[in-house]
Amino acid sequence: MEISISGAKVYGYIGPDIPVLGRFPLSETLIVSWIVMLAITLFCIIITHNMKVEKISRRQALAEWLVEVANKFVVGNMGSKFSYMVPFVAALFSLSLFSNLVGLLGVRSPTADLNTEAGWAIVVFIMITAQKIKAGGFGGYLIGFTKPIPLLTPFNVLSELSTPISMACRHFGNILSGIVINGLIYTALAGASSALFGLIPGAVGNLLSSIPILDVGIPAILSFYFDWFTGVMQAYIFCMLTTMYIANAAEEG
Amino acid sequence: MGSLILLSEAAQAAETATQEAGLVSIDAWIVIATICNLFLQMFLIKKFLFKRVQVILDKRRELAEEDLRKARVSRDEAERLRTEYESNMEQAREKATQIIDLAQKNATQKSDEIIREASQEAVAMKARAEADIALERRKAVNEVKNEIGSMAMEIAGKVIEREVSEQDHAKLIDEFIEQVGT
Repeated sequence: MEISISGAKVYGYIGPDIPVLGRFPLSETLIVSWIVMLAITLFCIIITHNMKVEKISRRQALAEWLVEVANKFVVGNMGSKFSYMVPFVAALFSLSLFSNLVGLLGVRSPTADLNTEAGWAIVVFIMITAQKIKAGGFGGYLIGFTKPIPLLTPFNVLSELSTPISMACRHFGNILSGIVINGLIYTALAGASSALFGLIPGAVGNLLSSIPILDVGIPAILSFYFDWFTGVMQAYIFCMLTTMYIANAAEEG
Repeated sequence: MGSLILLSEAAQAAETATQEAGLVSIDAWIVIATICNLFLQMFLIKKFLFKRVQVILDKRRELAEEDLRKARVSRDEAERLRTEYESNMEQAREKATQIIDLAQKNATQKSDEIIREASQEAVAMKARAEADIALERRKAVNEVKNEIGSMAMEIAGKVIEREVSEQDHAKLIDEFIEQVGT
């Protein structure tokens, strides 16, 4: 019995060979990401289609509710001066959520590829740094690393860099662990099924042991936790940390 | 770039068309593409969700403000009408009072006039009656005077047995009566 869990598939390379970067890889991650983006955009278009001022439809109520929730989340965590961040946080949350849940459809989640989270974390890191520089000036930002005592400078730098790394790895690890555990469970249950029904003698036993009967139903319970709960939770946590870090950065200095 | 590759099939798969990246590996192109995707998604969500909903919310607020404004206008109109009505009522009341006052004054004037006329008439009647009485009395006195004169002449004629000429003694008799009468 062999379990194989690999990275995202790369279907091919396009474009010219650029130094350092190489050719552009058409990976599963990107293709599923684009499908997810298309789905989110279509969802937005559908729920905001034909909106009225009075006697609103349920679709429109959903759209207004989503906007209200996004506004409350961002303004509640960051204050009203960051209300321009609402579309960014909404995009981050919806991309994360839809990417996590698209795994349920059998394709590989874009969030099961560290590159995706790395991209998001880099953007958040740049925003955090920009807010710190804006709050205390570039000098103030650099001096901030030597506090409380200059001896701690390397640790401060390390702690600063660990913020995006931990954000990316937390999200990635949670989603990947779901995939790994699901793979393990499926394989293990198939083995157990084969062993259990193999005890039945004759042709019936041979037939039944070739069908992974125990794979039906039981993984769904675990899938509820690893796909649904973790998927929603990680999207929420990522956005929560994003807003918190950026708001804290603006308050410093 | 791959730091941890759970399955070493990546190298093997490289020969075929479809390759597999490392399980935990970083490809700068995909990171860049993800960042672009994130901002593209932000733009799309802003355009297709937030802007559209904001338009509706703005319209709704405008509508509410419009309603409020209309209500305020009609309230002012009602207030104006009420004030107008009240002032009209006040005017009417004043007018009624004026009319009553005028009527009362007219009536008083008229009654005064009537009373004055009546008293004037009474005074005139009294004066006339007094004049009549005085005339009557003078007439009666004259008659009595004449009567007494003629009686005295008769008596005197009888006394002196001769006819006393009326003309001769009229003066005498008059004097006598004057003395008696007063």
